[in-house]
Order: sequence, then structure tokens, then C-alpha cells
Amino acid sequence: MKKFLQNLLLFLAFTVVCYLCSLFVWGSSYTLGKLKPNVNYQIGYSGHSFTRLKEVKEVHDIDILFLGSSHTYRGFDTRTFSNQGLKTFNLGSSSQSHIQTQLLLKRYIDSIRPKQIVYEVYPRSFMIDGVESGLDIISNDRNDKHSLEMAFNLNHIKTYNTLGYAYMRDVFSLNKSFEEKLQRDMDTYVSGGYVERQLQYFKPIPLPELEIELNDAQWNSFLENIALIREANIEVIFVYAPITPSLYDSYTNNDYFNTLMKSQGTYYNFNEILSMDDSLHFYDSHHLNQKGVDIFNKELLDILNKKY
Amino acid sequence: MLFNSLDFALFLPIVFILYWFVTNKNLKAQNILIVAASYVFYGWWDYRFLSLILFSTLVDFAIGRALSTQEDPSKRKALLWTSILVNLGFLGFFKYYNFFLDNFVSAFSFFGQEINANSLNIILPVGISFYTFQTLSYSIDVYKRKLEPTKDIFAFAAFVSFFPQLVAGPIERATNLLPQFYKKRNFDYSKAVDGLRQILWGLFKKVVIADNCAQYANIIFNNSEDYSGSTLVMGALFFTFQIYGDFSGYSDIAIGTSRLFGFNLKQNFAFPYFSRDIAEFWRKWHISLSTWFRDYLYIPLGGSRGSLSKKVRNVFIIFLVSGFWHGANWTFIIWGALNALYFLPILLTNNNRNHLDVVAKGSYLPSPKEALQMLLTFGLTVFAWIFFRAMNLEHALSYIGSMFSSTLFSMPKVLPAKVLVLLVFFMIIEWLGREGQYGISNLGLKWKRPFRWAFYALIICMIGLFMQTKETPFIYFQF
Repeated sequence: MKKFLQNLLLFLAFTVVCYLCSLFVWGSSYTLGKLKPNVNYQIGYSGHSFTRLKEVKEVHDIDILFLGSSHTYRGFDTRTFSNQGLKTFNLGSSSQSHIQTQLLLKRYIDSIRPKQIVYEVYPRSFMIDGVESGLDIISNDRNDKHSLEMAFNLNHIKTYNTLGYAYMRDVFSLNKSFEEKLQRDMDTYVSGGYVERQLQYFKPIPLPELEIELNDAQWNSFLENIALIREANIEVIFVYAPITPSLYDSYTNNDYFNTLMKSQGTYYNFNEILSMDDSLHFYDSHHLNQKGVDIFNKELLDILNKKY
Repeated sequence: MLFNSLDFALFLPIVFILYWFVTNKNLKAQNILIVAASYVFYGWWDYRFLSLILFSTLVDFAIGRALSTQEDPSKRKALLWTSILVNLGFLGFFKYYNFFLDNFVSAFSFFGQEINANSLNIILPVGISFYTFQTLSYSIDVYKRKLEPTKDIFAFAAFVSFFPQLVAGPIERATNLLPQFYKKRNFDYSKAVDGLRQILWGLFKKVVIADNCAQYANIIFNNSEDYSGSTLVMGALFFTFQIYGDFSGYSDIAIGTSRLFGFNLKQNFAFPYFSRDIAEFWRKWHISLSTWFRDYLYIPLGGSRGSLSKKVRNVFIIFLVSGFWHGANWTFIIWGALNALYFLPILLTNNNRNHLDVVAKGSYLPSPKEALQMLLTFGLTVFAWIFFRAMNLEHALSYIGSMFSSTLFSMPKVLPAKVLVLLVFFMIIEWLGREGQYGISNLGLKWKRPFRWAFYALIICMIGLFMQTKETPFIYFQF
């Protein structure tokens, strides 16, 4: 038995080394990547996460921090708020779920020190597993113990593998010289984390009905995030950013979601406050175009000004 | 609890440590630990159905004890029938109640009689077909005086519920497994290492081969009306490897896990896709079930002896029952009938025992004749799997109809490079390892340790890099 356990431990150590080597090879190779292995390191891939997460390290003592999914970094134009004398920052990433929001809060809240947080809540962010955004943040930010905590929370082989590969890139400083273009395809990065999309219009399509069903892990993370924010004595409001009315109406239990959000604090559902048009104010079924963003931000500013 | 889950990855070492370090001095304690671990393993899925296993255990134990003292043939027969009726009664109710009800209603309505009967919302207890057959083998063997009835309730409970093979086999005979619970198990290094090797290969088959193939098989079968004939062929091929990887993978993990605890289970798959005829295929596919039916059904019916009509009848009975065992659906019955049709010509021409050896033994490649035979047998098998996978008979027939259309020779629309590369790797390893008990049982044993370990590490790397990301249950759980 002693020999068995000794050899088993030795073999496990040997395998860990082999595994890390294979992660490095598969993670680095574009050609091998075509076979779609479970390692998905996408530095500078979409949403300008790399630039945003680089900028956030220099951001301190701001008025408002926006937290949430792509609706955040494509929905809160920091220039509009800056014109009103407010210093703001968008801390969102593509498909960011509450598990990733927690990681970012733990990592940056002490250095950002915002006076207020606008927490964007979108039903889908409560329904998804959060892997996509997890990979985005792992690939575009430095990794620490919070990344490992998030990986355990997501418990997905792609997240573990990508994190292993990302740690190796951090150790060998392979991202040191990486620069992300501020303008890519139709997107332009604006200081403060906002991403402006070239003006486009959405052609509405029929959408199937969908029931909002919360993922327990996401809901628990959401509650923990609120506790974390309140513990830091930061005021928080919840905002449901506009999505196309056709998508909004496709959710069969909006009342349930609204009641749930209201129960957590001050909540504004802009789908019921504003009357947006599917084709005029959106570039896809759930992202505002610049015209929509301007209307939405003006209304939000009015509300914030009235309240404070 | 699934073998391919994090829960099992924690459960197995805990039970292993308790088994070899805490209860190792006491055989009874080891058996009790196995029973407890098995009940936890099963209860992880649904604890309510533990009562079924417990009831089945107590009934068959009591019947075994009664048979040991009973000499009156008619009373012995009554005891045996009690066991059969209880076990098959459970199986019949949970698995076949709705099927029979629906078919009775359909049959009556065909003759103009409308009957109002409501189907019941019955949950099929995982593994019921497996442990039912295992306990039945005990009662039948005791009845036939092939086995001494046990006096040890814990050994018997451990035999019925032994967690590695509880939910999807192999279906062990009492004559092989039960006596192993009476003897002290000593830790055997080479047996344990071999067990780990077999677990590794089983896991690779399941999470890499079966689950990746399943993804494409599901897409193609679930949208078969949208695809060309050639893509439907690919769908059938993906399912062929999915079911093999899934089920033989489960068996490998089960056998490997048993070896870690000092038990020997029988081989359940012997590289069936390298068979040269259907008879050989059925000697190599789900061996524990085939031999169960052979010994407890086919031979008692007369087997291959007797008149031509009797032979034909017996072959059809065994294949139809085997098909029906898989599930309450006509697709399984047709799958069984089709295999009977494949098998009959071989039996009737006395060619059913032509290929008892390993194909191309000692060579790297098969002869052209062997290659052709394997290809033909494989093709027949792939065709039959269409019925097995289809949702219903109508679906199977439309699938086959679309497959043999003018688009049969077009370029398939679904041709995932990753899965094809993995399948080539898999089949090469299986071919090289076909003389062993499982794919990698003999491979690399004579290599120097760093090379051997590198080979196993390569398989682990492939599992980590290419496993399907969703935890998927084993197909045979539903049987």
C-alpha cells in the first residue's frame, strides 16, 4: 500500500507538470486551437476588457461606478456623466454575471472608492453559468486568489484550464507588451470604460417566450455582492437598462423579476420608465445604439439629480 | 452519483481510505462499509428508491434461506417464482406499466373500443434492470443448487448493491461475485494499478469519446429532416461510438473501481466493433447481459438444439427480450428483431462459432478478408443502432429513408475535425489493445516508467482538454 500511495503521488506530480505543459502548448497555438480544446484564452478579444481592466487600476475616488454586463459598458456613456461634473467608471464585461461582478468588486472596490454604485441588473445575468465572462476576465486581467475562487465557483473545465494557462502567462510576463487597439471593427473605446458602437439600427425579429429562472449560484453571488457594497458603506441602486420592447415582452414573468429586485433596494426599471423603439434605439435585441444611450443616460441623470 | 462527477472524485478516495485503513482488519466491517457506501452512492440520485433495493435484498435473502432448508420440489418452485415475480414485478411496474397500458389502449381503439386509461407519472429507478437481474441470478442459482445460499446478510446486501456496478452493470452472477464477499481481501499493488488504468481508459471513453460524439449525434438525430443522407450516416456513426464509449466506458470504470477494492468483475466488452460476424459481436457486446439471457433463458428454452422452427423461435425470443430489456419502446424491440435477423443465417448454417479468437492476433493489421468482414459487421451494427437511437419507429424509418436518398454521396454538413481526430486516436489504441481486457491494459507495460507514465499523462491531458464540458449521465442509466 505504501508503494502504491508513493507512486500515485509521484505520478500525480508528473501529470500536473505534463498537464501544464500541454495547456501552454494548446493555449498558445492558433492552429491547435482550431480543434477547440477546453482552453480559451482570448486576450483583447471583444468588449475592450483588456483596456478597461488596465484603466481601472488608475481610477480612484469616483462619484459613480457602473457594474454589470455589456449593457453597462455599452449603456452608460461616461462622457455624458462627465459633462455633468460626475466622475464615473464602467466596470462591466461581456455577459458578466454576478459571480464575475463579485471578483471585480473584491479586486477593485478598495482602490476605486466610489461614492455610489449603479448595479445593472438584467434577467439573463441571473440565468447563465457565467463561464463566458469568467474567461474574458481571466484573459484580460492579472490573476490572483480571487480568480481561483471564481473558477471554483464556476466549476467548469474551461475556466480551470484557461486560468492555469493565464497564470503561466502572468508568471512569464507574456502580456507585458500587449496593446489593445482602441478602435476595432465598429467599436471605439472611450476613457472610463465605455464602448461606443457605430450607429446601427436593429431589424426586429419574432422572439420566443422565455421564463426567468434564477440560477442559484448567481443569485447567491448577487446577494453577497450587495452585502459587500453595503459593508463598504457605498450607496447602491439597481438599474434594469433598456432592452428592446419585443425582448422585454418575451419574458413571461417580468413582475416576478421586478418584485425581486425591488426587495433588494432602490430599483429603476427603464423598460417601464422609458418608451424605446425596437428599430430606432437599438442595434441588436438588447443593446442600445448611441441614440438610445443618450436618452437612457439623460433620464438616469435626471433621476439621480432629483434624488440627490 | 455519476462516475464522471466531482462528487465521485471525492467519494472514491474517502471510501478507499476507510476500506483499506479503517475497516481492513475486519471482513464484516468491510462489507458493511461497502453496503453503506453503495447506499450513499445510490441515494445521491434519489434516496427514496433505496427502499426498493433493500426490499429486493431482503426478499431474495429470505428466499435463499428458505430454499436451503426446503426439499419439497413444488415448494422450492413456489419460492423461486416468488423471487421472480417480486423482482420482475418491480421491473414491470416501473419500466413497462405505461408501455403496456398505452399499447392496450391503442389495440382496443384499433378495434373500435375506446378505453379511458391514464398513464402514471412513474420515475424509473436508476439501475433497476441491472440489480434485478443480479438478484434473480442468485435465486435461480440457489434453486438449481449451483450455489450455496448465503447466511451472511451483509455479504448478500453488498453483493446486491455493490456500488461500482450497481446502476449500469456489469450484471454479475452470484456464483462469481458473492463468494468474493466471504473472503478477506488483501491489497494487491498490481491489481490496484490495473484498476486505476482501467478507470482512466473508461473515463476517456465516456467524457471524451462518448460525450463529444453525443453532441453531434443529438444534433443530427434531433433535426434529421434537415440533413442530407451523408450527414445522417455521420449521425448514425457518431451514435455508434457514443453508445460504445458510454457503456463500455462505464463498465471499465466499474471494473477498475472494483479492482481497487480487491474484487474481480467479469469483462463486459471485448472490442465488439472489431467483430467479423454478428455472432462474434454478440459474444463481445454487453457480455454480462448476453450470457445472462443465454444461461437463464436461451438454454432453458432449448438453445440451438431441436427443430428448425424451435431454433428460430429461441433466437427471436432472446433477441426480442434483450431489445425489450433496454426500454419500453418499439424501437428497442425492432432493434432486437433486426439483430435476430442478422444472427439467424449464421446460426442456421452452423457458422455461429467461427470466430472465437482475437482478430488478426499477433499482427498489426487484419487480412483483407478480415477487414471486409469487420466492415460489413460494423455496417450492419451501425444500421441497427438507428432504431435504438430514434425517438420512435416513425422517426427511425424516416431517418433511414432520408439516409438512402440521392444526397447519400454528398459532402456531410456535420464533420467536426476534433471528434474525427479523437475517434482515429481512440480506434488505433483500441485496435492495438484488442488482445487485452481493455484498450490500454497491455499497452506500454514493457516501456520504461517515464514513457509509460507519459502515455497515461497524455490520456489525462486529452481528457482535460477535450472532455465535454457538461456533466452527462450515462445512457444505460435509463435502462
